[in-house]
Amino acid sequence: MFPRHRRLVTALIVTLTATACTAGSGGSATESGPKAEAPQTIEVWHGWSAPHEVQAFDDAVAGFRKLHPNITVKLVKGQDDTKILNAIRSGNPPDVVSSFSTNNVGQFCSSGALQDLTPFLKKDKVDTSVFPQTVQTYTQYKGVRCTLPLLADDYALYTNKALMKGSQPPKTISELTTLAKKLTVRNPDGSIKVAGFLPSVTYYEHVGEHVAPSFGVNWLNGQGRANFATDPGFTKYLQWQKSLIDWYGYDNIKKFVHSMGQEFEASNPFEKGKVAMAIDGEWRVKFLQEEAPTVQYDTTPVPVNDDRQNAYGGGFVTGTIIGIPRGAKHPQASWEFVKYLTTNTDALVTFANGLGNVPSTIPALSSPKLTLPPQFRTFLDVFKNPNSTTIPSTVNGGDFVVKFDAFVQDQWEPGKVPNLQQGLQSLDDKVNSALKLAGG
Amino acid sequence: MTGTTLAVRPSAVGSPLRPGIRRRRGRRFLYWTATHAIAIALAIMFLAPLIFMFLTAVMSSDQTLTGALWPSSWHWGNFWKALTTDDGVMLRWLGNTLIYAVLATVFMLISSVPVAYALARFRFRGRKLAFVLVITTMMLPPQVTIVPMYILWARFHLTGTLWPLILPLLFGDAFSIFLLRQFLLTIPKEYTDAARVDGCGEFRAMIRVILPMARPAIAAVALFQFFYAWNDYFGPLIYTKPETWTLAVGLSTFRAAHHVEWNLTMAATLLTVLPVIVVFFLAQRVFIQGVTLTGVKG
Amino acid sequence: MAAVLSAGPVTAARARRRHRLRVLAFMSPWLVGFSLFFAYPLAATVYFSFFRYNLFQLTPVGLTNYKFLFKDPYAWTAIKNTLWLVAVMVPLRVLFGLGLAQLLSKIKRGGNILRSIFYLPFLIPPVAATVAFVFVVNPGTGPINGIFAKVGIHLPDWFNDPTWTKPGLTLLALWGIGDVMIILLAALLDVPKTLYEAAAIDGANAWQQFRQITLPTISPVLMFSAVTGVIQTLQYFTQAMVAAHVSQGNADQAGTTTAPGYPDGASLTFPQTLYNEGFQQFNMGYACVLALVLFVVAMFFTLILLRRFHAFGDDD
Repeated sequence: MFPRHRRLVTALIVTLTATACTAGSGGSATESGPKAEAPQTIEVWHGWSAPHEVQAFDDAVAGFRKLHPNITVKLVKGQDDTKILNAIRSGNPPDVVSSFSTNNVGQFCSSGALQDLTPFLKKDKVDTSVFPQTVQTYTQYKGVRCTLPLLADDYALYTNKALMKGSQPPKTISELTTLAKKLTVRNPDGSIKVAGFLPSVTYYEHVGEHVAPSFGVNWLNGQGRANFATDPGFTKYLQWQKSLIDWYGYDNIKKFVHSMGQEFEASNPFEKGKVAMAIDGEWRVKFLQEEAPTVQYDTTPVPVNDDRQNAYGGGFVTGTIIGIPRGAKHPQASWEFVKYLTTNTDALVTFANGLGNVPSTIPALSSPKLTLPPQFRTFLDVFKNPNSTTIPSTVNGGDFVVKFDAFVQDQWEPGKVPNLQQGLQSLDDKVNSALKLAGG
Repeated sequence: MTGTTLAVRPSAVGSPLRPGIRRRRGRRFLYWTATHAIAIALAIMFLAPLIFMFLTAVMSSDQTLTGALWPSSWHWGNFWKALTTDDGVMLRWLGNTLIYAVLATVFMLISSVPVAYALARFRFRGRKLAFVLVITTMMLPPQVTIVPMYILWARFHLTGTLWPLILPLLFGDAFSIFLLRQFLLTIPKEYTDAARVDGCGEFRAMIRVILPMARPAIAAVALFQFFYAWNDYFGPLIYTKPETWTLAVGLSTFRAAHHVEWNLTMAATLLTVLPVIVVFFLAQRVFIQGVTLTGVKG
Repeated sequence: MAAVLSAGPVTAARARRRHRLRVLAFMSPWLVGFSLFFAYPLAATVYFSFFRYNLFQLTPVGLTNYKFLFKDPYAWTAIKNTLWLVAVMVPLRVLFGLGLAQLLSKIKRGGNILRSIFYLPFLIPPVAATVAFVFVVNPGTGPINGIFAKVGIHLPDWFNDPTWTKPGLTLLALWGIGDVMIILLAALLDVPKTLYEAAAIDGANAWQQFRQITLPTISPVLMFSAVTGVIQTLQYFTQAMVAAHVSQGNADQAGTTTAPGYPDGASLTFPQTLYNEGFQQFNMGYACVLALVLFVVAMFFTLILLRRFHAFGDDD
């Protein structure tokens, strides 16, 4: 019985391995699936979850529903990239997905997880120059445009007027440092009661990708490899943030961070008046309106390092992206939806107003219908500023940023790196070998 | 192999006291007190986390962040709130968990009992090898085969559903086969022989004669399978999506979704634990016998 | 199936054929299961380990995945952590389980209740047990550190401090000692009473009795507990993953990815790197290399078990 058994096993292995080898080839034909005019339901996944955000998306879609009564749009909130990729891999993806992580565009486009939209754009003669240059950059990867921008995000410095006690918002890193020390209030045991500015990457949006640009860093070199040891900007950034952390005391920072509230709830320490200055996205304007309407605050561009004051006014720009997964059942209707949402000025303005995000087309940016508080102006200016930068994408997404932040959080901030240059060099090696593994 | 009754027997060391040896009696009393004191102290430590969980579950949300021991006010509604939060998402997790656990258990029994029976009763070439392979698969970490299995299920468009977790149980579960076989070996052969003389086929002999006698072992493997599914985290983490999450995966995200609300998190955790505790006390004997079966004798 | 064949006088050859068919029928679920869920995936794991595969594109890469193993910082951290757990957690569990079993074997009244209490935490679903445990010992919010602080003992920040994460996980594992304890208790109760009585007559004290009678008699069971403990530790995943997830807390937002094994890789076990590479990064080819490493090590310990116990009393 065993010889027979063995043959059976061999046969099974051969068949199964053979099927496994033939990776399916889902084409991105602009003609596949039911026509856009046919009655159908499309499922749209997005990452927003706060009630006002979910409502804002629904409002933005209202116009599309009126325009295409045959297409029923089902919105699913609270999705992230892992869930999206898993759904695509399972072969049962939703029709449209949107994601907050522009980092992953490289992965999305190079793997074919999201369909190349170029044929659709050509067919409908959509002019991509309505999208600002930075936005065009982060929505494609090596010439494959598999996503379109759906509103943008950028970062600036929020300052709590009451806690600033008349000081002007800082424009340079040294001003920021002085103020941070001046505005900090400590408890009798030395722990932090009110923080001037928390330099640690463990504070919500103060991750490397949002703060390091002030030091003029280039994340990848010309060959698309990690640049941490060779770019002096990283060293300057790290030495600055470490010296400020040491001024607070690493343990005090850790304690403060562990006991602070939830970023997107009313317990946020900036909204609670426990932090005087914080770098945050433009959405915080809307959150402050909703959750802490009594807080008086200013917004100004993120301070820049003293050696590059001419770059003041720019900031980190990113955004939400939207695309059509490979294997989507209704690509025609999905395209109509994506096209409408990313290029229709009214939809973008409605959405931007509801969400407090930056519109992602040039016409929508200058629309008089934008009704956001004066503090929002800063974000529109930062968005248009030529010194604003975004982060490059790779085949393994934002792995280099994840590794950088982990290095800073676990090694650098606790003081476990005796030689920074060596530490950054080995970080470069780790990032580069992971890139190579993923085929980059 | 089995036969171990676990009602705790009188101490083997404490042989009957001989009257007149006071000093020894005094020492024995000290010994008795020390043993019991240690045991009770340990028992309290073992129960403490559960008690703290319960106390936290009925606290107000703010109080949970203070490190307090005792609730300043009792919020019994937290259990209901945990169940109904996010449109009753916990009930959906519970439903998924039950589908997984019940189907897995039924399928496991259908497929594993005959195999265990064959391994215990039949003589055939390769029997020993088959048994060794059963033990090997039992010991194999599930992570070893997960990548190709995931690829396979993805090809059948079944990832995201509970089926990749349930369907394999139709083809025998190594641990259950092992345990059932160990038990079946203890049933004398004469019973089946008698049944066969009565004109029963082998299958009928198994169903009619052996299975009723193997009830304790079958109950044990069924319970183990049920709890394995109930507790499984790795499998659902890989295969399910939010709509098909089980309690284990859902619970691990509960805290992330309700950051400050430790009270609800603890209430949800307790609600997950409760069925296990109830079943354990109802079927304690079955459990402990089953665990003992997995052990070996020297 | 076998039941439908009528009984009656048959030739030897027919009887053999019928017997074979019967065996095949009874064994068939397992034969299919073994091929489909063991043999095939194992072969496929070897096959995929020579490819770069993200479920979208399959690219042959030769030995790249194997070479990366030696450069992968996560894999080496995970190997170190897993070795730590094997060296510390496994022996502690066996010792503590033995201690508890010994204690229980000495207790007459209330022994059943105590036994249930000690066994209970083992049954608590690992995710639930971990969530609860991490909360209870969390210095900021949990009551345990507060209680100890009152008597002047300052406990560490268990699951946020890289030094104390694995000791914290070990404590959690000692809480769930139930399985080891029950097996050892059964073994202890099976030691023939006459042996102790004879030793007592010879004047042996409790320690000598334990050394000379108990230990030799139960040593195979101790060995069994240790080896299965090692095999379980090789697949240690849930508790480490959930503990990191719960204690990391704030960093857990949609759209953010964080490095595995919080804090500072201290909770990163080998199966977690496999999960991270295969199902977060979707470097499935490389994950297959990790799977093969795990397979080889697990097989090694399984063979020890099989040799030591002669396939669990299967003597023929």
